[in-house]
Amino acid sequence: MVACIEGRNVSLTFRPPNRGPVRALQGFDIDVQDGEFLSIVGPSGCGKSTFLNVVLGLIKADSGDVLMRGKPIAGPGTDRAMVFQEFGLLPWRTVLNNIELGLELKGVPAGQRRDVSQRFVQMVGLSGFEGHYPHELSGGMKQRVGLARALATDPDVLLMDEPFAALDAQTRDVMQVELLRIWHEAKKTVLFVTHQIEEAIYLSDRVMVMTKRPGHAKKIFAIDLPRPRDYEMRVTPEFNELKLQIWHALKDEITV
Amino acid sequence: MSESRTIKAALASSDELAAPGKSLWHRIEPAALGIGSIVALLVVWELVPRLITLSAGTKLFFTTPSQVAGTLWRLFATGEIWTPLGVSASGFGLGLLLSIVVGLPLGVLIGRSRTLNDMIDPFITAFNATPRLVFLPLVMLWLGLGLWSKVLIVFIGALFPILINTYEGVRNADKVLINVVRSFGAKEWDIARLVVVPNAMPYIIAGLRLAIGRAVLGVVVAEFFGSESGLGVMMVQAAGRYQVDVVFSGLIIFAVLSLALTAMVQILEQRLSRWRPVHVSE
Amino acid sequence: MQNAGAPRESFLERHRKVLLGLLAVLLFFAAWQAAFLVVPFNPLFISKPNLIAKAFVDLIADGDMLRDLGVSAMPFLYGFVSAAVVGIVVGIVMGWRVRVGYALDPLMTVFYATPLVALAPLVIVFFGVGVSGKAIIIFSLSVFPFIFNAQAGVRAVDRLLINVVRSLGGSEWDLYVKVIVPGVLPYIVAGARIAVGRALIGILVGEFFAASEGIGYAIARFGDLFALDKMFACILAIMVIAIVLTEGIRWAERAAFPWRVGR
Ligand SMILES: Nc1ncnc2c1ncn2[C@@H]1O[C@H](COP(=O)(O)OP(=O)(O)OP(=O)(O)O)[C@@H](O)[C@H]1O
Ligand SMILES: [Mg+2]
Repeated sequence: MVACIEGRNVSLTFRPPNRGPVRALQGFDIDVQDGEFLSIVGPSGCGKSTFLNVVLGLIKADSGDVLMRGKPIAGPGTDRAMVFQEFGLLPWRTVLNNIELGLELKGVPAGQRRDVSQRFVQMVGLSGFEGHYPHELSGGMKQRVGLARALATDPDVLLMDEPFAALDAQTRDVMQVELLRIWHEAKKTVLFVTHQIEEAIYLSDRVMVMTKRPGHAKKIFAIDLPRPRDYEMRVTPEFNELKLQIWHALKDEITV
Repeated sequence: MSESRTIKAALASSDELAAPGKSLWHRIEPAALGIGSIVALLVVWELVPRLITLSAGTKLFFTTPSQVAGTLWRLFATGEIWTPLGVSASGFGLGLLLSIVVGLPLGVLIGRSRTLNDMIDPFITAFNATPRLVFLPLVMLWLGLGLWSKVLIVFIGALFPILINTYEGVRNADKVLINVVRSFGAKEWDIARLVVVPNAMPYIIAGLRLAIGRAVLGVVVAEFFGSESGLGVMMVQAAGRYQVDVVFSGLIIFAVLSLALTAMVQILEQRLSRWRPVHVSE
Repeated sequence: MQNAGAPRESFLERHRKVLLGLLAVLLFFAAWQAAFLVVPFNPLFISKPNLIAKAFVDLIADGDMLRDLGVSAMPFLYGFVSAAVVGIVVGIVMGWRVRVGYALDPLMTVFYATPLVALAPLVIVFFGVGVSGKAIIIFSLSVFPFIFNAQAGVRAVDRLLINVVRSLGGSEWDLYVKVIVPGVLPYIVAGARIAVGRALIGILVGEFFAASEGIGYAIARFGDLFALDKMFACILAIMVIAIVLTEGIRWAERAAFPWRVGR
C-alpha cells in the first residue's frame, strides 16, 4: 500500500543572504499512513516546520523525495492544508471571509463558498461570530478559525505546526478534545508538530522524535492507547511510561 | 503621533482626577482654548488698524479679517473665482491622480522585489531629499505655461510620499500571511491583492495625506512662476497691485481645499480600517 | 546559528545593495548619454551628461557657482537658525504646559495646513528681494517641523522615568540631563531633517521669484538662456547639497541615538 505522505532521505539547507548556510534537514525519512495521526517532537530549530513547509509545497528539498500518495510534491495543492502556529488570519477579513480564503483561491463560486464556510463555522463552534474580525476574538477562537479554514477546502492531509502553542493551558485542553472529535468525523490524515510530549501522546497514533539540527528521525513510538481517549487517560501508568520513554529519547538532543 | 495622543489623554484624565468638581470645564477646556486663541487672533488683527495709526506704506500692505471675508464673498458671489479655481483644481486633480496611478503599482513592485528595490533606492533617496521645485524651470521649458507643466510639477511632488509609503507598507507585509495564501495556491497577483495591498493600506493613506499637502504646494508654486491662469496667478497679480485681501482670499481657498481633502482621506481611512484594533501611527 | 566551516560569502553578496545601486546609477547616466546617439534631441531643451559634467567643472572653476551658493546660504542660515530657535522654544512650551498646548494646537495645525508659500509674493513685495525677504520665507516654511517635533518629544517623555529618577534621589538638573534632553533631542533632530527640505524649498521660491543672484536665480536664468548644461549643473548642485544635508542628519541620528534605530 502506498503511504499517504512519504519522505525519503530528505535534505535541505537554507542559504540566507548575508549569512552562513543552515542545514535544516539531513537524511530525513518518514511514512504517514492514510487516516493516521502522527506527531513530531524535536528540539527547537531541528527542522520540523521546515519539513511541514516542504510537504505543504512552499519550499523544495535539495535532495531526496517527498511524495504524496506516491507522487512527488511540486507545490501547494488543495489536498493539503496547514494550521499555522501564529494563526495566520487576514486581519482585514471577518471570520467567515477568512474561512472562505482557500475556496476563493480555488475558484469556488460565492454562494457555494458561503454554504461551506457556514457549515465549518458551526463545526468549530463559532456560530454567532461570523462577522467578527480576528482582533475581536480570543486566541482559542482564532485557532478555531484557522482550523476551519484548513478544513474548508476538504484536504486529505492536515498539517499542524504547533497549532496550540499560543493558547493557555485550559483552552489548549479543550482544543485537543475538539481536534480529536473533528479528526474522527472528517477522517483526515494529520501531521502534527508540538513541543508538548503529553499532547503528542494524547492525540497521536505514532510519535516521532527528531534529532537536533540537521534534523532526521531518531525514534518512532507507537501509541497503542485505546480510542476514544479522555482526559483521565493522562494519569494512567501506560501514559506516563510512554511519556518517560519519549522524554529520554528527546533529552539527549536538547542542548541549551 | 499616536503615542503623544495617548499621553495627552493620560494627562487629561489625571488632571480630571485631581479636580473632580471641574469636570465639565475640563472636558471642554481644550476646545475652548483652541477656538479662543483663534478668535483672539482674529479680533486683535481686526482691531489693529482701529487702535494704532499705521504708516501709509504699511497700510498698503495691511488688510483685516473683515475685509478678507468681504472679498471672499465678492469673489464667489460674482463668480469671478470659478475660472481660476477650475484651472488650479484640474492641474491639482490630474497631477495627484497620476501620482497615485504610478506610485501605487510602482511601490508594490519595488516592495516585492529586492533587486529592484536595491537598484531604485539611490534615485528615491536623491529625489526625496531634493526639493522638487528645483525642476520647475526645466519643466516650464519643456511643457510651457499651460496645464501640463502644472500637472507634472504636482505629479513629481506627490509621487514620492505615495511611492515611499506604499513600498514601506509592502515590505512590512507579514511573511506568515503570505505563506498562508501561498499554501492555498495563491499566485503573485493574489498575494498582492489579498495580503500585500490591504496590509499597506494604512501606510498608503498616510502617504496620500502627505501627497495632498505636496500637491497643493505644487499647484501654488507652479502657478506663481509659470502659468497663464489659476488661483496662484490671481494671487501674484493681486500682490503686484497691493490687493492684499485678494492674496489672503486665495490663501484661504487653498487652505480649505487641502483641509477638506485631508478630512476626506481621514474618513476614507476610518471606513477602510474597521478591522484594525488600533490606528497605525505615521 | 552559523555552521562551522561555512564558506565566507563572496564580496558581491556582501555589498550587493551598494553595488546594485551604483550599477543602476551608472546605467542611468549611460542610457542618458547613449540616447543622444539614437535620437537627435534638441540641445536647447536637454543636455547630456558629459556636457553637464563639463559645465559643472567650469562653473566651479570660475567661481560662479560658489558665489551663487554663498549668496543663497546667508538667508538660508538666518531663516533656518531662527526657525530652529523659535520652533524649539514654542514646541517645548506647548508640550510642557498643557493649556498652552490646547490653545495653540489648532492654530498651528491651521497654519501648517495653509500653503504659506502662497504669501511669498506679498513677502517679496514688502521686504524686497534681499536677504530678509528670503529669510522670512524660509523661516515660515521650516519653523513648523521644529514646533511639532519638539512638542511631540516633550509629550513622549515617559512620566514613569521622571518618577524613577526622582525616587532615586535625582535633582531637577538630573531630570533634565538624564531624562528630558535625551528624550526630546531625537525628535528635534528628526524635525531638523524635515525642516532642511522645506528650507530648501523656501530658498528656491524666494530666488525664482525675484532675485539677481543666488543658486535659484542661476537655475532660472540659465533656463531662460537655454544654457541647459549649466542649468542641469546647478540642479545637480542643489541635489547634492540636499542629499548631503538630509542624509547627514539621518546619519547623525543613527550615530547619536542608536536606541531609536528601527523607529
Ligand atoms: N527561511 C529561512 N532562512 C534561513 N534559515 C531558516 C529559514 N527557515 C528556517 N531556518 C533555519 O532552519 C532551522 C530549522 O528551522 P525550523 O523552523 O524548521 O525549526 P523548528 O524545528 O520548526 O523549530 P521550532 O520548534 O523552534 O519551531 C533553524 O535553524 C532555522 O533558523
Ligand atoms: Mg517551528
